[in-house]
Amino acid sequence: MPRPGFVLEVERSTPPVLMWHGEGYRLERLPAERSRVIYAPEPLAPLADPDAAIQKALAEPVGDSAPLPELLRAGMRLTIAFDDLSLPLPPMRRPDNRQRVIEAVLDLAAQAGVDDVVLIAALGLHRRMTDAELRHALGDRVFDAFAPSGRLLQHDAEDPDGLTYIGRTDHGEDVEVNRRVAESDLLVYVNINLVAMDGGHKSTATGLMSYRSVRHHHNVRTLQHSRSLMDRHNSELHTSAWRIGRLLNEHVKVFQIETTLNNDAFPPQMSFLQKREWEWDLRDRATYLASSQGLSLLSPTSRRSIFHSIKAPHQMTSVQAGEVEAVHSRTIANLHRQQLVDVEGQTDIVVFGLPHIGPYNVNSIMNPLLVMCMGLGYWFNLYVGKPLLRPGGVIILSHPTPWAFHPVHHPSYIDFFEEVLSVTTDPLEIEKTYEERFANDEWYRHLYRTSYAYHGVHPFYMWYWGAHALEYAGSTIIVGGDRKAVRRMGFKPATTLADALEMAEDQVGHDPSITYMRCPPVMLANVH
Amino acid sequence: MFTDRFGHFPLRAPDWPSSVPRPPKRPDLGVHYETEWARKYPVRLARALYTEGITRPFVAAVARPKVRGLDRFENVDGPVIFAANHSSHLDTPVLLAALPDRWRHRLVTLAAADYFFDTKLKAVYFSFALNAIPLERNKVSRRSVDLAQQLAADGWNLLIFPEGGRSPDGWGQEHTAGAAWLAARTGSPLVPVHIDGTGRLWPRGAKRIYTGETSVTFGSPIAAGLGRDELQAQLEKAISVLADEARTDWWQARQRAANATTPSLLGPKASAWRRAWQLGASPKDRARRRSPAGHKSWPPKPFGR
Amino acid sequence: MKALQIERAIARFAAARVASSWRAGAGGRFLRVEDIDPPDLPGQGWVRLYPRLAGICGSDLATVDARSSRWFEPIVSFPFVPGHEVVADTGDGRRVVIEPVLGCAARGVVPPCPACAQGRSRHCENLSAGEVSPGLQTGFCRDTGGGWSVAMAAHESQLHEVTMPDEAAVLVEPMACAVHAALAGPANGELAVVIGAGTLGLGTLAALKSYRPELSTIAVAKHPHQKRWAGELGARAVVEPGELRRAVRRATGGWVLDNGQLSGGCALVYDCVGSAASLADALAVTAPGGTVVLAGMPSPTQVDLTPLWQREVRLAGSYTYGPEPAMGGRHSFDLAAEMIAEHRLARFVSAKYPLERAAEAISHAAEAGRRGAIKVVFDLRGEKRRQMEGK
Repeated sequence: MPRPGFVLEVERSTPPVLMWHGEGYRLERLPAERSRVIYAPEPLAPLADPDAAIQKALAEPVGDSAPLPELLRAGMRLTIAFDDLSLPLPPMRRPDNRQRVIEAVLDLAAQAGVDDVVLIAALGLHRRMTDAELRHALGDRVFDAFAPSGRLLQHDAEDPDGLTYIGRTDHGEDVEVNRRVAESDLLVYVNINLVAMDGGHKSTATGLMSYRSVRHHHNVRTLQHSRSLMDRHNSELHTSAWRIGRLLNEHVKVFQIETTLNNDAFPPQMSFLQKREWEWDLRDRATYLASSQGLSLLSPTSRRSIFHSIKAPHQMTSVQAGEVEAVHSRTIANLHRQQLVDVEGQTDIVVFGLPHIGPYNVNSIMNPLLVMCMGLGYWFNLYVGKPLLRPGGVIILSHPTPWAFHPVHHPSYIDFFEEVLSVTTDPLEIEKTYEERFANDEWYRHLYRTSYAYHGVHPFYMWYWGAHALEYAGSTIIVGGDRKAVRRMGFKPATTLADALEMAEDQVGHDPSITYMRCPPVMLANVH
Repeated sequence: MFTDRFGHFPLRAPDWPSSVPRPPKRPDLGVHYETEWARKYPVRLARALYTEGITRPFVAAVARPKVRGLDRFENVDGPVIFAANHSSHLDTPVLLAALPDRWRHRLVTLAAADYFFDTKLKAVYFSFALNAIPLERNKVSRRSVDLAQQLAADGWNLLIFPEGGRSPDGWGQEHTAGAAWLAARTGSPLVPVHIDGTGRLWPRGAKRIYTGETSVTFGSPIAAGLGRDELQAQLEKAISVLADEARTDWWQARQRAANATTPSLLGPKASAWRRAWQLGASPKDRARRRSPAGHKSWPPKPFGR
Repeated sequence: MKALQIERAIARFAAARVASSWRAGAGGRFLRVEDIDPPDLPGQGWVRLYPRLAGICGSDLATVDARSSRWFEPIVSFPFVPGHEVVADTGDGRRVVIEPVLGCAARGVVPPCPACAQGRSRHCENLSAGEVSPGLQTGFCRDTGGGWSVAMAAHESQLHEVTMPDEAAVLVEPMACAVHAALAGPANGELAVVIGAGTLGLGTLAALKSYRPELSTIAVAKHPHQKRWAGELGARAVVEPGELRRAVRRATGGWVLDNGQLSGGCALVYDCVGSAASLADALAVTAPGGTVVLAGMPSPTQVDLTPLWQREVRLAGSYTYGPEPAMGGRHSFDLAAEMIAEHRLARFVSAKYPLERAAEAISHAAEAGRRGAIKVVFDLRGEKRRQMEGK
């Protein structure tokens, strides 16, 4: 029986805690008597027979939806869209949830004699996936049946001939969607819900729409009013996405299939990464010592290649299918079962150790903007209710934050970092002055559409993602970060965690309370 | 400097004077490639060693063929024409490995002139290793047929793939007239052969070969006395029945053949994805799916592989 | 009199060359303050000068480190005293800066060559003829002496009288080069790139601001003080060398192609460094049909000229100064003097050394960027001037 998450009060006898630091990890000692460590719940038991569960979910959908077999008929146009490379993290071992679900859907489609089937990777403004990445997500069978005949597509939010404008919501939001989706008799969306932000109408409203639509919910105003991003009922971003998604549902029949995973994020050889420190046995301690020593001998590039080869042993804990909103509320309930931890009260200083991977650097480099987005965008937002941090408190991140960018994946990030951030770090100012120019840059557009580059405005979203934390927190300190890069973002570099805590006292006063969220694995703090 | 001293005739090949017309070069590749050397005794001996020492162990390791129906043609005295379905480059080696010695070392393979004989190196290799002779894919040229006829008269068995090329998607293709033509001209009986599974191990366009099981099913010889169209129809039907037999059993296949409900090898007339889907999962796919934990992640592979 | 002198000594060249490959400016260690006779006046119209400040220029450093091009061999004469950025006193109480090019007038060549006749003494064809030993400029000639000494000789035609402070006056010569370079580009266009932010690069920025105000500029600077200066001198963007290509793309649109060149680019690029890397950068960001002005003295380098050919880029050298047709024929020296006053460029002079500390001075000048300096000069105002006219 997996144990729930809990909050540990740090005493003098508490062992140092594991803290991620990019492509590596350290053991850090937190001040006694005033520090807390939040531990995630242990991995839930997976579904015993995921394939059977999928078949059952398709046959017995939730909400106002007919079973999938009844929706399929010969001669129809069927489109299956699926979440892209950004999920799950780290990438999971084969078979991926997407493979299992899509194979089940295709078996039904084949039985019904549906000829016109197209698969679309719901990239939104993310980079295109390589063939190897698609093959990993979909499995060989699906890839080999669809890719050679050109029926495996990737969404292109800048294709002038590939988008259809279907209208405007009552809040004036334009809805422009992938043309194939708009012209389909049925859209089946296959999702992996890693965190509560994912899924629901956000899947289609970001993954399959054009920049013209996405900018209505991906902007500074919505992000500053998303409290938090992980709680859709209090998130302006989700409210807007929901309006857009509902309008889409009026035009296209959507059959949503959502899956959740347990938080078993690391292979068994590295199980100490998920264990509570006082339960480490001899083997865990030896593995920690050997791996951290070994890693320190390697170059950053080889460390990166090692960490990016990790495939997580995540397993499916639930699958639900049918009408979008009914499906999503069940998904969130299942997700909370795995991730929710009750926390009493806010804290003066919150500490996050950032790992090697985030949604936008799978097989790539975690550049400074992604560090910002990861820390202030994602980790800060892992709460429901109220933030873990008190207003004006200090955020301490631990990450090497190298001034390094992947030239193929993140071309516009380089310009954003070199040009925009050298002038201002204010999200509103950035949005007003620069976003349009980056959005209309022909080179970024070309790279996004034909190479493997994120869209020109994607670095802006990284910055907006942290917009709420930027205005909420008093300051941000990055432990072990490259000084120039950290300063460019308007943060403060610190050499050690102890130094960072000293520096933070200038902001929050003496003997501040400290809370360390021991992610990954991902959790969600329910702050009372 | 070097070219100044050594770059001139006679140290270098002479230039052809432009006022003297060059005689046209005689084509010696493709269908014009001369393979007679490959049937001389020393070469036959070398080929026998190659087949026994390399081809058969390779096939045994990769394809593990299960052979059925050898008894159906062992009483035929003269040379025969083997006609098989075609989905992979593995087909010829697998068939070679499956045949009894008597046939294996006296077999000539008819291979596409444009693919196997387009360069000197390939031409030499395939004539040696498979005892191949060039055949035009889409028409029956006089040269090929004359050669085949002569070889049959000399007692050589022939192997031909009447589909004219490897399957693009795993399903069978319509037959060309080649096999029936040859049978009609040489008078040798046609032995239908069905090879199953090779398309999964090394499909057209694949970058690597997977290992797995295959089966080879031989059918009863079809005498050459019929008309060409009749021969072609009979052959196609016979191979379909063999395929059915390989997947179910001989009795069911016979029953269905009698009812004319033998499943077609050509696959459903549907969209590309459904044709691909109906073939089912490949062995590598099944293996990855069956044991996800078998996926190696540590020690890691190099970045950006 | 005291002087730093460079002789044709193979061993010294070799030692300087080896030492300077270890550390730039190390050739200065092989310079000694020597007591030599002041130069005789070579002929009619020559006067004796007593240097007050004498700058250390990039070409001087190349000479000291034995890294100059062999191109100069026939147009210099050993032994010579370096120093051509000079503010000096004359015997009759004037304070002057010298225009170091030794053209037909200074050489007593009559009639002058066509270039000198038109006032373009920089294009003089008689650099190794006449009554003065070969030498393209004062400071590279056996007979004239140079600024790195207590006394030297100059022709009246080389003198420009000044009233400004010494620190400003010593910059007139290098700033005149910068003005000339800035005006060497074609007169149309909106954007210019200036690569390098040493004395010449910053001077070019200042000259563009003063005399080509319609151009906005992107400056390439490595060091923090250089960036501050470039910003102050009106560059619209100041970037590090590695950021140049993207910065130009941001300003001009177009693509960065796979190996870093731009599909479009900037029509006017000033290379104020002259290294292989800076030239490659310049060619990578120059628009088809554009111009690269080579203002910095290049050393023998290897550069791929394919872009020059394929995109019809003009590579224009820019050497010294003279009457500027683009400014109505005014002399670069006058324009430079105005510009120095306008932007208060006397602040460029970062350090002054006596001759005795030549090794330190040279190494400071060679590492000026890294050590936060722009122009390093010798200060000779405290030296004792013996009456030498009788000698």
